[in-house]
Amino acid sequence: MPPLQRAGQAPPLRWAVSMGNATQYSAFAGYHPLVNYLFFGYVVLVTALFPHPVFLAISFAAALGTSACLARRSMPKFGLLLAPPLMALAVVFNVCFTHRGVTILGYLPSGNPLTLESLLYGAASALMIGGVVLWCACYGAVMTSDKFLYLFGRVVPAMSLILSMALRFLPRYRAQAARIASARRGIGMGVSSPANPLAKLRAGGEILSVMVTWALENAIETSDSMRARGYGLPGRTAYANYRLDDRDRGLLVVFAVAITILLVLVFSRIVSVSYYPVFVMNAGGASPAPTVVWAAAYPVWRAVAYACHAAVCFLPLGLEVREDWIWRRARTGMLVDGAD
Amino acid sequence: MTVDGHVNYYAVSLAIAVCSMLPFVLAFEGRKPQARELVVIAVMVAIIVVSRAAFFMLPHFKPAVAIVIIAGAALGAQSGFVCGALAAFVSNFLFGQGPWTPWQMLALGLIGCLSGLVFSGAARLRRPRPGLPGLPGLPGREEGAFASVRARKRAERLRTAALCAFGFLITFALYGLLLDTAAVAIFSSGIQGEALIATYAAGIPLNLVHAAGTAVFLAVFARPMIEKLERVRVKYGLYGGRAAGCRPYSGRGKPRPYGGR
Amino acid sequence: MALIEVRGLTFRYPEREQPALDGVSLSVERGAFVVLCGKSGCGKSTLLRHLRTALTPHGERSGEVRFDGRPLDGVGLREQAARIGFVQQSPDNQIVTDKVWHELAFGLESLGEPAPAIRRRVAEMASFFGIQEWYEKSVAELSGGQKQILALASVMAMQPDVLVLDEPTAQLDPIAAEDFIGTLAKIHDEIGTTVVLSEHRLEAALPRAGQAVVMSRGRVVCAGAPSGVGRRLHALGDPMLAAMPTPARVFFAAAEKKLDSATAAAGGLAQNDNGSIPLTVREGREWLGARAAECRPYNSQDPIGHETSVGAAFCRPQKTSAPPVVSLKDVWFRYDRAGRDVVRDLSLTLAAGEFLCVVGGNGTGKSTMLRILTGENRVWRGKVRVFVADPQKAGARGLAEAGLSALPQDPQTLFTRPTVFDNLIDVAAYHNKKAAPEEIEAEVRRVCALTEIEDLLAFHPYDVSGGEQQRIGLAMALLARPKILLLDEPTKGMDSFFKEKFSRILRRLTADGASVLMVSHDVEFCARHADRCALFFNGSVVSEGAPREFFSGNSFYTTAASRMSRGLIDGAVTAEDILDNLFAVATPSDTF
Repeated sequence: MPPLQRAGQAPPLRWAVSMGNATQYSAFAGYHPLVNYLFFGYVVLVTALFPHPVFLAISFAAALGTSACLARRSMPKFGLLLAPPLMALAVVFNVCFTHRGVTILGYLPSGNPLTLESLLYGAASALMIGGVVLWCACYGAVMTSDKFLYLFGRVVPAMSLILSMALRFLPRYRAQAARIASARRGIGMGVSSPANPLAKLRAGGEILSVMVTWALENAIETSDSMRARGYGLPGRTAYANYRLDDRDRGLLVVFAVAITILLVLVFSRIVSVSYYPVFVMNAGGASPAPTVVWAAAYPVWRAVAYACHAAVCFLPLGLEVREDWIWRRARTGMLVDGAD
Repeated sequence: MTVDGHVNYYAVSLAIAVCSMLPFVLAFEGRKPQARELVVIAVMVAIIVVSRAAFFMLPHFKPAVAIVIIAGAALGAQSGFVCGALAAFVSNFLFGQGPWTPWQMLALGLIGCLSGLVFSGAARLRRPRPGLPGLPGLPGREEGAFASVRARKRAERLRTAALCAFGFLITFALYGLLLDTAAVAIFSSGIQGEALIATYAAGIPLNLVHAAGTAVFLAVFARPMIEKLERVRVKYGLYGGRAAGCRPYSGRGKPRPYGGR
Repeated sequence: MALIEVRGLTFRYPEREQPALDGVSLSVERGAFVVLCGKSGCGKSTLLRHLRTALTPHGERSGEVRFDGRPLDGVGLREQAARIGFVQQSPDNQIVTDKVWHELAFGLESLGEPAPAIRRRVAEMASFFGIQEWYEKSVAELSGGQKQILALASVMAMQPDVLVLDEPTAQLDPIAAEDFIGTLAKIHDEIGTTVVLSEHRLEAALPRAGQAVVMSRGRVVCAGAPSGVGRRLHALGDPMLAAMPTPARVFFAAAEKKLDSATAAAGGLAQNDNGSIPLTVREGREWLGARAAECRPYNSQDPIGHETSVGAAFCRPQKTSAPPVVSLKDVWFRYDRAGRDVVRDLSLTLAAGEFLCVVGGNGTGKSTMLRILTGENRVWRGKVRVFVADPQKAGARGLAEAGLSALPQDPQTLFTRPTVFDNLIDVAAYHNKKAAPEEIEAEVRRVCALTEIEDLLAFHPYDVSGGEQQRIGLAMALLARPKILLLDEPTKGMDSFFKEKFSRILRRLTADGASVLMVSHDVEFCARHADRCALFFNGSVVSEGAPREFFSGNSFYTTAASRMSRGLIDGAVTAEDILDNLFAVATPSDTF
């Protein structure tokens, strides 16, 4: 077998990351959709639900890194552009409207006190919103329509088919809008450039009107095509290109372990945070502590918690880096042992 | 979902948004809709997402909400909900997912559903349906029952006016305010009155413009679009076959095959 | 026992007086390749739709359809979906999902096949059709021909016993159409699927058919082997004979003419020994080679056809000093700065009252050239003049006032109102803003008379056939009283009768002094009716000339008659030319 294949090359179809019509390749996207979905579910939920500063910082850093990594393959950078203003907004919101907290730093123009706690919570909120926005952008890059349909095609079959059809229609309709405008221009009914808004509105409306009729009438053939191939018969299955292999199962096990540890630690309050009325972090575990030794182990547990969270959050980035390393090694010939 | 006794509004509202969509989704799936219904809904979803492209000469004009209202009015509450929710979803698929996606889906879905509840009887002009309290008596009579062409035109104008008013209010209240509330829930640690008021106040001009745009769109395009959807409903044989009250376009056109069941 | 049997099927659409099918009886054996042909509106499509209960239209019906010995109504929907495959006309409309792999699997999913079985069958079909290259792609990235092949593969993945196809190549360009019919033939030969196909383009389909069925006004005129059907049509004098492939037409027309004794003695034209008639170009060449007496090579200045001198005038070198109404000189165009030039070094002129046809393959830039003339595409190099105006500077309004009108490839992009009449009134009102309603209506009536659509005025534009939609679109374009008319593939999907009507309309226009620039794949139409032809390739015009010199100069991109007679009769471009040459008596014969 050629050495390049031995370097862990999975079948191309599972490595495609697509948004619209552009396709990029990313290591994490090559995994099974379930793995992808669980990962994003975890990071978004934890980031949104648990405002622990260290957790938020880890999550945010991972989100930033993953976005930047995906963005360098010419992904839309909308996440990176959107995050900073939202984060600033979060700080401002909190500072201006929340007046709880004990430590007063000063007074706002409105007369309300500016408290340290609200500032800290604002910062946390900023990290939270930034993280969530960035993770959502990464989600959009990794979860293609195929994967989404694979996961939900069995659960909501009718709506999945509508989704698939709508995605099929979209590029057609966009092209058709341009063609309609061109056709109207050709018979002399186009809109000349210096036109008043009302004329533009009317022209746009005519284009839309033509498009609606065209779309609805031509869709009859689409529904006939569906029925001709037996849509509507009971017992419809859902075909998919994805298979859960050992690599995916390994990751799922990693997730399971990490999440269990985290849940235990969070619910036993070994890692915890509270902002109001006083900012308190990691107040402690069960009280009273069973033994002094047990209590002394708390910092260790906390470190474990942080490590678990980091392990999960940095997973895609880590996989990407590892893949880069493998390919670089392959190119320099260290894995080649036969004719090239 | 509390952090030291402090409710995390983001999580709660997210849960509410998702859970409120569930009954509609389940009802829709449970009905096992036929191919033609699905196709019509898919067409409307695609139209909603692409509608911005038709107005490429007016870059800031967003007729999406208006078309959701029209779809709901013509196709009914359940289909209207699915149209709205999926349009928001597909839109985010294309333009980028964000933490606001569930709320957008819920907002547009509710708009479609409400539009269907209020208007779909009138749109079909089929069986009589009492107008909702406070709204003008929406014409629900058979086509032939109108005293004259002028009476029918008057009824249609009333319907269009009702649609515009509905569109304005719902865009401002549901779409604008719901999303503003969601924003507050996302950003701040709680739904304080102050934060809400400030957000609403800041959003009023934008929401007003959006609402006005929706009303204008409905005023001009609602009637023809609803008629087109009606024709398609008849031609496809959806929702109970040919509506008796539909205006026949021609008696001798070359009809497309309707298809068996 | 026949696989499909139709007995005395009569069907009437609701609210119509004439039945769409009138006592149709048909028998399709297992493994047959049946081609259904007939004018638009003869009932081919309706008949094919009766072969699946899911697609059968509502209406009054009598007679029966039997599948595999049982009444079709009694065959379950699942069995029908699995055993009778149906492929429709429009490649774009009949594809449901957005990904190729999903489309291939769609039918199998509906039948409830488990995933491993689906995977196997999809892989099999993809390999058989050569789809594996684009298996991963989005459907939006495929060309029209590829989409139609995808639709076919998707149906074949369900392994049906019979394939029913409703005009599958109507929307495809000639190369893609050939491809598709070839794939069908491959399926028929290698898998043995029964094929029932309805077609207008008989050149490719008829030679491969084992059985041809001709329909007219809902009745079967004749059925049988293509040769027998041809003879029968000839004996009946049926107008469908004009739709047969060129070699067959030449054969029959030659057989019909009074033979002088010399030719009769030389072996005659009346019978082939085995009763077959030439259907392909190759068979035509064999037949012609055995019979061509003297070759009178054609002068390249000779006009094609025997019509008016208007056509003849343009085969002479231009001596007129009038400036051309359209001129493109050294034009280069690309869509964006980093892209490649779509139009490169293009120079072309169009004179007043001339009918110019531009032919060439897909993607060569012909439609782009039309958009340059309407000012939509801005050239970055070269001079474009429409009358004396520069289209880019004149703007849409300016060009319309100057007299330029363009008919789009898809006339459905023009229909906004529920009736044809309203659509026309709309456009007329737009162009004559200050006119009174009676004047507007008079204008509309004038155009309707010109395009022969008076009987379509009350219909919804989507309720009429494709050819009729083209004429309605043409009427809307003509309301601007254009002096230059640009046409983009107007004869797509038209049957030969419509094409003749269409050519009449265009001739009327040019007789009034308007110029027509038509972009087309339809080589036969251009050869018969154009005043001048140009070959478009790689962004520019590589050759142009009067039709005769143009087409006889090409050995591949030319009419069937030209290919049939290459080397035997120089310069023959249409079937009439061949006929003229077959007889020593070199008098112009009547057209037939």
